[in-house]
Amino acid sequence: MRKILAVFFIGVFGYYMLAILMDFPFGIDHLNPGLAGAYLKDTVSKTGAVNVVTSIIVNYRGFDTLGEVTVLFLAATGMSALLYDGKTMNRSRQNASVIVKAGSRLLFPLIIILGAYVFIHGHLTPGGGFQGGAIIASGFLLMFISYRNYHVSHRILSNVESTAGSVFVVLGLLGLLYGATFLENIMPLGIPNKLFSGGLIPLIYIAVGFKVGAELTALLDTMLKTVK
Amino acid sequence: MMFDPVLMIALPLLAAFLIPVINRFSKAIPKYIPVVVIGFNLYESIMLLPYSMVKPVIVIIAGWQPPLGINLTIGPLGNILALMISLVGFVVAIYNIKFVTEEPTEKYYMLFLLIITGATGVVLTGDLFNMFVFLEITSISAYALTAFIRDRNGAEAAFKYLLIGGIASTMILLGIAIIYTYTGTLNLADIAQKMQYVDPKIALAAMVLLIVGFGVEAELFPLNGWAPDAYSQAPTPVGAVFGGIVVKAGVYGLARMIYTIFNFEGVFYFLMIMGLITLLMAEMSAMRQSQIKRMLAFSSIGQMGLVFIAFGLATQRGVEGALFQMLNHALLKPLLFLSAGYLVYYSGSKNIEDLDGMGRRKPFLAFFFAFGAFAIMGLPPLNGFWSKMIIISETIRNGFVIVAAFVLAGSVIEAVYYLRVVGRLYFKKHDDNQQEKYVHGSAIFAMSILVILAIVIGLYPDLVMQYLKPAAEELVNKSLYIQSVFAIN
Repeated sequence: MRKILAVFFIGVFGYYMLAILMDFPFGIDHLNPGLAGAYLKDTVSKTGAVNVVTSIIVNYRGFDTLGEVTVLFLAATGMSALLYDGKTMNRSRQNASVIVKAGSRLLFPLIIILGAYVFIHGHLTPGGGFQGGAIIASGFLLMFISYRNYHVSHRILSNVESTAGSVFVVLGLLGLLYGATFLENIMPLGIPNKLFSGGLIPLIYIAVGFKVGAELTALLDTMLKTVK
Repeated sequence: MMFDPVLMIALPLLAAFLIPVINRFSKAIPKYIPVVVIGFNLYESIMLLPYSMVKPVIVIIAGWQPPLGINLTIGPLGNILALMISLVGFVVAIYNIKFVTEEPTEKYYMLFLLIITGATGVVLTGDLFNMFVFLEITSISAYALTAFIRDRNGAEAAFKYLLIGGIASTMILLGIAIIYTYTGTLNLADIAQKMQYVDPKIALAAMVLLIVGFGVEAELFPLNGWAPDAYSQAPTPVGAVFGGIVVKAGVYGLARMIYTIFNFEGVFYFLMIMGLITLLMAEMSAMRQSQIKRMLAFSSIGQMGLVFIAFGLATQRGVEGALFQMLNHALLKPLLFLSAGYLVYYSGSKNIEDLDGMGRRKPFLAFFFAFGAFAIMGLPPLNGFWSKMIIISETIRNGFVIVAAFVLAGSVIEAVYYLRVVGRLYFKKHDDNQQEKYVHGSAIFAMSILVILAIVIGLYPDLVMQYLKPAAEELVNKSLYIQSVFAIN
């Protein structure tokens, strides 16, 4: 009886939501009026970053990004607190075959370079700190899978994480020190499309890249180590 | 001297990021960091009061004017809630100093700092998506803290909370997406202004999603299944933080949605009915509990039910009563939790029946618990009485006599189960073969702050009412809120 009632309610709710979502104006150009139009029109001249998405994430809504970075930090902290055992753990898997080992050693530096490229060029090309950091972590994951005894120092990772997070906040506080608002750009905007443009945006994204890379690597390492 | 209010969020984040590094140098420092940082928040929110009472303080972030960028809108309501949150946070941070010994301690302090930062962010921000981000910070630290003791029950409670909370977050995000599609903005005041042009059918869908989402954190029936387990399995200070802080952030979110953003008249009746069911279900469940922390958890849900009833009245005086009740609950529930935590620690058991005779052995602690119980029941000279009286008299004045009768019945049940515990503390014989342990001075100090505040508010309720009046007005009269944000342009 309870289940039938639950299914009934979910059905009614689902139908209503579906009816609403069917009316969503997908594909219709409703971008230009209002806020979205303002972003598209003024971003390049006011923030110096040609990637509008990045400038919204890091500049207009940089405070949200600080929050999102904290959410990831929390997830990593919470997980390492819950998996804390006081003893050093090892990965349970065997060494991979020679082909995988040789291939991953070849690929590892390339993946790291790609990750760094993605977060350094966040204000110019698609991608940014979160994506770059995730790519770097995937490079480390490849090494974890191929080599049983490949160790990363959690001390260093945690230092990188703390430093990068603090750099983000301190860059924000610089704005206050200079008499502007929190997270406001206080650096020259530079020439659009150049690497050194966009003011604080690349600096923040580099910090985010380091932070996300270190956090995800530490997370993967903790989760893969299951045996004492 | 007043600092930029954004520091109330930025500094705790910076401190939380730095704790792992500081911990390398000295294991002793991290436990004092929350006290200092939240102490700063407390100072800042007191200094802000004279400004925000006159007109909401708008803090621009990243140099962009309101609809374009994110801003903090600190009206009387947000400021009072921020004050409440930092006060409870400060008290619990003092209590933490000696109480938390579970490794890894520095992680505990990071999570503790972030749960308070998140809640502060929720009440200060003037941006819908930003509110969601801070709610995520609050709830994710809450999941981790629930399971912090790392036993089977803790993990189960945390997983349950994680599932419900995760679904709630998704619903809030979906609701925000719908609102953004049709209004093209995320600023709360801007949305409130443009909502009247949105098709009511769509606005209703968004409202349902947001109410369900915020209702989980606000412990609205039937979304509160996580609460009793999470409260009782988490470390004691965390239970106090849930009751004193996390719930308040959820209730604020819910109130902001239904009062400021949407204009549906019917939702107030819905809230009142749901509040009444929440109250009665929780009080009756609390009656049946044999574990003291579970009982307190259900009592916390019941108190929130009372707050929802008052919010459902949608009158100036009713909202004042709701806010007053929230303030009292924020002072008293942590007091009850913190004293119960030590009582459990001494008796070595979570069950109520093992607390016999604690009144003679631990007079201070038993007094704190009894005081909290009497105040929350609403015994006349204490603070809980005034808020309950405002809510009940306002309910009757608006013609909801039956609701008032049910609320009174709920209060009687509440009195029964609290008095049962207090009676056991004082009038039962204890067995002598328990080992002697001592209360830490920091914990006594922390609980004394709460007791003194409760007595002062009980004797001079007008002292806080003068601040709650403008706060209630901010909710009831939403054009005030909208104008204040756009006046700066």
